Amino acid sequence: MGNASEIFKFTRLSVIWLCLIFIPVWFVAWGVGIFIPYFLIKDQSNVFFDLFQALVPIISVLVFIPINAMFMVLFERRGLALFTVRSGPNRVGMDGLLQTAADAVKLLFKEDITPRGADIAMFTLAPITFFAPSVFAAIPLLAAVTNDHPLFHIVNLPTGIFYVLAASSVPVVGIVMGGWASNNKYSLVGGLRSAAQAISYEIPLVLSLISISMMAKSLDVVQIANQQAGGILDWNIFGGGALRGIDKFIALNLVGNTIDAKTILDSAYPSGILSYVAAAVLIVCTVIMFALYLTGACAEINRIPFDLPEAESELVSGYNTEYSGIKFAIFFLAEFTNLFIVSSIAVVMFMGGGGNPIPAWLLDPWWPSFSSQVGPMFDLVTAKGLMLVDEHTFFPALWVIVKTYSFVFFAILIRGTLPRFRIDQLMDFGWKRLIPLSLIVFLVMAFARVLVNVHLVMPVGGAP
Amino acid sequence: MTDEEKKPEEPKAAPAAAKPAAAKPEPPPPPTAGPAGQFLKEHGVVTIPMVDSCGCETAEINPADLAAALRLLRSSSEIALDFLVTVSGVDNIDTYDSVYHLQSFSNKNEFVLKVRIKKTDVPEGKLPNVPSIANLWKTANWHERETYDLVGIRYNGHPYPRRILNTWDWDGYPLRRDYKQPVDALNDKNPHSMR
Amino acid sequence: MAIELKTHSLKTDEMIINMGPQHPATHGVLRLIVNLDGEMVKHVEPVVGHLHRGQEWQGQNRTWFQYQALIDRVDYLSGMFTSWAMARAAEKLDGLVVPERAEWLRIIASEMNRITSHLLWLGTYLIDLGAMFGFPFYPFREREKLFVLLEEIAGQRMMFNYIRIGGVQRDPKPDWFKRAKEFTEDFPDRVDEYEAIVSENPIFLKRTQGVGILPKAVAVDYGVTGPTLRCSGVNYDLRRFKPYSMYDKLEFEVPTFAGDGDTQQRYIARVKEMRESNKIIRQCLDMIQPGDIMAKKQVAGMRIKAGEGFEAVEGPRGVLGCYIISNGSDKPFRFRWRNPSFSNLSVLPELLIGHPIADVMAIFGSIDVIIPDVDR
Repeated sequence: MGNASEIFKFTRLSVIWLCLIFIPVWFVAWGVGIFIPYFLIKDQSNVFFDLFQALVPIISVLVFIPINAMFMVLFERRGLALFTVRSGPNRVGMDGLLQTAADAVKLLFKEDITPRGADIAMFTLAPITFFAPSVFAAIPLLAAVTNDHPLFHIVNLPTGIFYVLAASSVPVVGIVMGGWASNNKYSLVGGLRSAAQAISYEIPLVLSLISISMMAKSLDVVQIANQQAGGILDWNIFGGGALRGIDKFIALNLVGNTIDAKTILDSAYPSGILSYVAAAVLIVCTVIMFALYLTGACAEINRIPFDLPEAESELVSGYNTEYSGIKFAIFFLAEFTNLFIVSSIAVVMFMGGGGNPIPAWLLDPWWPSFSSQVGPMFDLVTAKGLMLVDEHTFFPALWVIVKTYSFVFFAILIRGTLPRFRIDQLMDFGWKRLIPLSLIVFLVMAFARVLVNVHLVMPVGGAP
Repeated sequence: MTDEEKKPEEPKAAPAAAKPAAAKPEPPPPPTAGPAGQFLKEHGVVTIPMVDSCGCETAEINPADLAAALRLLRSSSEIALDFLVTVSGVDNIDTYDSVYHLQSFSNKNEFVLKVRIKKTDVPEGKLPNVPSIANLWKTANWHERETYDLVGIRYNGHPYPRRILNTWDWDGYPLRRDYKQPVDALNDKNPHSMR
Repeated sequence: MAIELKTHSLKTDEMIINMGPQHPATHGVLRLIVNLDGEMVKHVEPVVGHLHRGQEWQGQNRTWFQYQALIDRVDYLSGMFTSWAMARAAEKLDGLVVPERAEWLRIIASEMNRITSHLLWLGTYLIDLGAMFGFPFYPFREREKLFVLLEEIAGQRMMFNYIRIGGVQRDPKPDWFKRAKEFTEDFPDRVDEYEAIVSENPIFLKRTQGVGILPKAVAVDYGVTGPTLRCSGVNYDLRRFKPYSMYDKLEFEVPTFAGDGDTQQRYIARVKEMRESNKIIRQCLDMIQPGDIMAKKQVAGMRIKAGEGFEAVEGPRGVLGCYIISNGSDKPFRFRWRNPSFSNLSVLPELLIGHPIADVMAIFGSIDVIIPDVDR
């Protein structure tokens, strides 16, 4: 391995930055949600007690987004450098750690230019319209990624995923506004391309998520995440819970439970061999849906190979050609936040949310008292009285971070590999391939789902 | 050594090219027409053979015959000079030359055709006129524009006779012998200047 | 009540987009005035000359010795070839016989330079297609190795001034040949690596197949040369067609395609050419013998015998020619460059019309134009 040292540096940088991001967010959430109400106000009937607790989600998101975007820019630059036999930024701070912080400061101090002939109101509103929905979209996901922590419980909407989709389809308005208001032909073409692209790729994206909701019988992200708990076989990407019966079957056989294993299989797969075929079909379908989701998400957030709105070799920089300074920074921030949000949606909807990928029946025999050992450890270190760390939230959050950043890494890998589509090819691909495919797969899933008892809930007294 | 190897080949390309390059300073015998010149003569186009340019047949031609001669040379199957390498302009001591280097994609023929306009024939303040061959050869379009730009030879009938390398409001023709370089062209204070 | 739907008569306004000279993808300072109907190109006018440095003027106003050092700037990506074209024209005028070892060294250095030029093209072309930060840097790794080798013999990484009138400037150390040999053994694997990433990439194929078709008749009419011409079905490579230097003693293929060339074929042709150049270098390294490397004394007042001559070499972009008129003094009387990019670029409007704007840069990149080579 010629670049082992580079990989080590990259990993070190990622770990340091992740600590830099999540420790402040953790402390802000703790300070606003627990320290101020419980230790300063104390009076539970005080109106500020509830107010501070209610503010936690929005404040933690607002703290999280800028630091996270800074890290992701650096992550992307160093990651791309890794793929392309370069070094990447490695001068500012320790091994380039503070490069994006320096860039952010530079951007803030740059002159904010409004081009002559631009529609000033629209020109100013565009970055805000682009950025604000990504904040709103992130909020309902907080409940899912923190395993429904009491502080984030209030943002858990019953229509969670529907709301997230609605919010995350608004930014395209910002792009069109920015493109139109810039009084620049490149921007205009970029903005219009973005509108066309968002319309055509939103459909497969939504269909793939709807299919998962159909399997889960719920739009609630927390519920969907909880259904997938218990290991990789329960994740929605593998049949949307169709493997739950086999999972339980193996678990019971290993434990030697008294319950007849055949009843488990029968209750999960009621129609005999037909059900097993249906389960196999469901697995294929969900994998296809996952691929469709990734494609649609890439197009939705304008990443290569779908970065036509800002195609550099054709449209200079597309819709943000004329932006500079803080407005450009906001566009930049929102782009990376959107990448993070679609990755977290993928994690929550397909990859088991905060669930541990190792199946419970594999983990338990080897490390039987995992939670019972770790829990007291936290008590010891962090003084339970302060309510600083909650192990029911800590481990799911950790898994979500790992999974989400692997998606981000995947997106960078794609960016380092593929050329860009042409606009007509993009439209052809969207309307003639992806949308029919997603509709067909959706239909097949709807029928196959009837034959399988997905996300099997054990009969009373049966579960180990 | 390579030159020695090549010397037997060059007469094949132009058998009448009697003079190798190295012997030029001796008093030259009157140049004779090569295969291309003969071919043109057979088809009724008059050319004046000139001293070979390093083994490559060279001839002068009347401006009026230029387009006909080039059309003949290009369309004939045995000569097949279908590759117009360059159109160059030369500000000689007493003439303006428009030089056409012709080669072939299918055989090894080479031919240099020159249109020479005497400086005494060009009125004061006017440019020498040469018929354009841009309609015959698309290559010539840009090459003639460049020659017009740098040497100041006007090609009559050119579809887009504008300067190509210098800016459109440039004064003078830089490759002329009498060209005076602008003292500070970059910091020109003229408000109407495009520079 | 009959309603006539005249969809075909729906007319949209044409939009004029000014691509360049400050555009990230025009490889320098080319300006394209593009008339667009929607996203479709209706008319293109290339405006060149933003990088005009008066190379011909400089040639006429400097001595032979001075101008030798400036020549590499004519086409900065293939400086060896510009030097070589000028040196050959001057040697022909002067009746010089170049020593055999110098010829071999010229071939080695030039083919190395051809590889670097094609590698850079490969990287930038992928950028034109939108593979923004990924693949384009791989070719630069190999290019860097070649530049290290070339720097050692020429003293400069890109502006070599290595091929001089009458021979070459310097004899490399014996160690150099060994390292060059190592490079040639390693290089085909690296080309395999590029091909593994690009050649079968579905998006790449979708973007390049059937795009920018250049029919043979149009190519010949515009005087297009180089790989672009050979993709259009004309087997015209000066190294094979009129072998100069030692090329007749070497075995190599000239990748030629029958039929009308599209951008994908231009890509394949250049990748194949890199492999062939590598083969040539390997053969030269085997055949080179010790000997003299310079036939003319390099002094500041160097003179070339009177006369006129045109000589061309096959550069990475096509026929790179030099037309010199000398009057026997220490300065050329007239210096005229025949640059491949100049003619190749003039065919661009024909290629672009009817293509969407996204293909403008894909096609422009595929004909491998270097702006300093156009503007001189």
